[in-house]
Amino acid sequence: MIVLTRVDNRLIHGQVIEAWLPHLAVGRILVADDEAAHNALMQAAMRMAVPAGVKVDITPVDKADFKGAAADGVRTLVLLREVKSVAQARERGLPATPLNLGNVHAGAGRKAVTRAVFLSDEEVRDLKQLQDGGMPVSFQAVPLEKPLGLEATGA
Amino acid sequence: MIGIVVASHGKLADEMVATASQIVGPLAATTTCSVQPGISADQLRADLKAAVATVETGDGVLVLADLFGGSPCTQSLNLCGSLNLEVLSGVNLPILLKANSLRSQMPLAQLAKTLAEYGQRNITVASELLKAEQQRPLH
Repeated sequence: MIVLTRVDNRLIHGQVIEAWLPHLAVGRILVADDEAAHNALMQAAMRMAVPAGVKVDITPVDKADFKGAAADGVRTLVLLREVKSVAQARERGLPATPLNLGNVHAGAGRKAVTRAVFLSDEEVRDLKQLQDGGMPVSFQAVPLEKPLGLEATGA
Repeated sequence: MIGIVVASHGKLADEMVATASQIVGPLAATTTCSVQPGISADQLRADLKAAVATVETGDGVLVLADLFGGSPCTQSLNLCGSLNLEVLSGVNLPILLKANSLRSQMPLAQLAKTLAEYGQRNITVASELLKAEQQRPLH
């Protein structure tokens, strides 16, 4: 069962391990990321950070078994690096879960939505479409932070 | 001399180095790297690589990271394949002070291991020790 889809440029890190894992009571993290899936060192560093007892699957976006994770009884957190991966994942069978952002880095053409999320106009449009398709979008770095919705983008 | 990079979320690394300097004076071949919200994993790795380069003098660099599994630790580990690094996570002030004095005495891998043990031994319930001390017969 996929309880949350999170977009986080840093994938598995402090906020995810210390705050989200206990809050969501997940037994599995599904990282769908092309870069991580092809980098053994990156995978090793990420896997060892996760507490024993939480399963970690790291695969390319187009090979992730979203349907399998959605269908079994293990509470699962899906981690994606970028907004554009979410639509790709939906095409691969990611169910319509709440969509959490997470950490999206600053850069050219990106506007600050929160301290931790910087979005391009195209990404804002993508998020609106994802929300219309059944994934309520919230900007929330950690569970105790007040979540903001798409209205925070001004869209 | 083994270089030191203290890597943390927020201002922890900067303040820890400043505090250590107050206690023992300026730390040679020591720098910091901080992760703030809005930074990408790639940028953090680049910042870490640059920080390591500034303190590398041929004997390797010890990264003292704040939190196991946090981005400073994880992204430093991602550099282990290409740089001469050890990464110790869970750095505390006793570790940083000891690192400064021990680093001229042993090679990098041994330094990291020694400091990890030292750091753990230096977490004490001081108030319990006080009770024990007060109960000792006068010597």
